[in-house]
Amino acid sequence: MPRSQKVLYAILLTGCLAGYLWVWWSAESPNSESTVCLIKNVTGLPCPSCGSTRAVLSLAHGDLVGALQWNPFGLIIAAVLLVAPWWMGYDLLTNRKTLPVFVAKVEHFVQKKWIAAPAIVLVLANWIWNFSKGL
Amino acid sequence: MEASKVDMFILANGKFFESHHVGMIRDRLISTDDSKWVTVQTLQFKDPTFILIVSLLAGTLGVDRFLIGDTGLGIGKLLTCGGLGIWAIIDWFMIMGATREKNLDKLRLVIS
Repeated sequence: MPRSQKVLYAILLTGCLAGYLWVWWSAESPNSESTVCLIKNVTGLPCPSCGSTRAVLSLAHGDLVGALQWNPFGLIIAAVLLVAPWWMGYDLLTNRKTLPVFVAKVEHFVQKKWIAAPAIVLVLANWIWNFSKGL
Repeated sequence: MEASKVDMFILANGKFFESHHVGMIRDRLISTDDSKWVTVQTLQFKDPTFILIVSLLAGTLGVDRFLIGDTGLGIGKLLTCGGLGIWAIIDWFMIMGATREKNLDKLRLVIS
C-alpha cells in the first residue's frame, strides 16, 4: 500500500474515532458549555463549523430541519462519520483502493474555479449565519 | 545541467526544501537534460514561513492546507473546527515540512 494511502486511512480512522467519541461525550453531557474551538475560545466568536456537533446530535434524533438550522456542515460530517468506516473496511477486505481514488476525484473537483469560488462564498455565508444565530 | 547553474538554483531555492533532500535534488538536477532548465527556473514554490504564518492565523479554517494543495485535508479541517482544535495545533509544527514536501513533489513533476 502506498504511503499516501496509509496516511489517508490513518487520518480518516483517527478522525472518525475522535468524532464518535466527541459526539458521544457531547450527548452524555448536553448542558456542558465547554468548547474545543480555538477561534471561539480566543475571540468569543463562532467559527464556520461551530454548531455542527449539535447538528449531528439533532440528526441522530431524526431532526433534519433542526440539524440544518444548527449548521449544515453537520450533515456532511454525519455522512463522513457514517460512510467512511464501512468504506475503509470494504477497501481493506477486498484489497482495493476505491476510497483514495474517490478522495482524489473530490479534491480535483473542488479545485475547479467555478466550484471553489461559490463554495468559499457559501462557507462565508454560513459563517455570517453563525454570527447571527449567536452560536 | 551545468553544476554552476544547479548550485545557483540551490542557493536561491534551498529554503523551499527539506535540508536532507537538497543533496538528492542537486544530483538529480545535474543529471537532468538542459532543456528543462527554463521550466525548473520558472517554478513557483510555496514559502514554508508564509504558510506557517497562515497556519497560525487561520489554521482552524484549513486555509494553510488549501494553500499547499491539500484540498481534502483543508476541507477536513474546516468542517471539524481544525480537528477539534487539536489538528490545528499539530499542524503548526507539521505544516512547514508538509509545504517543503509539496515543493519537492512539484519539482519532481518537472525533472522526473
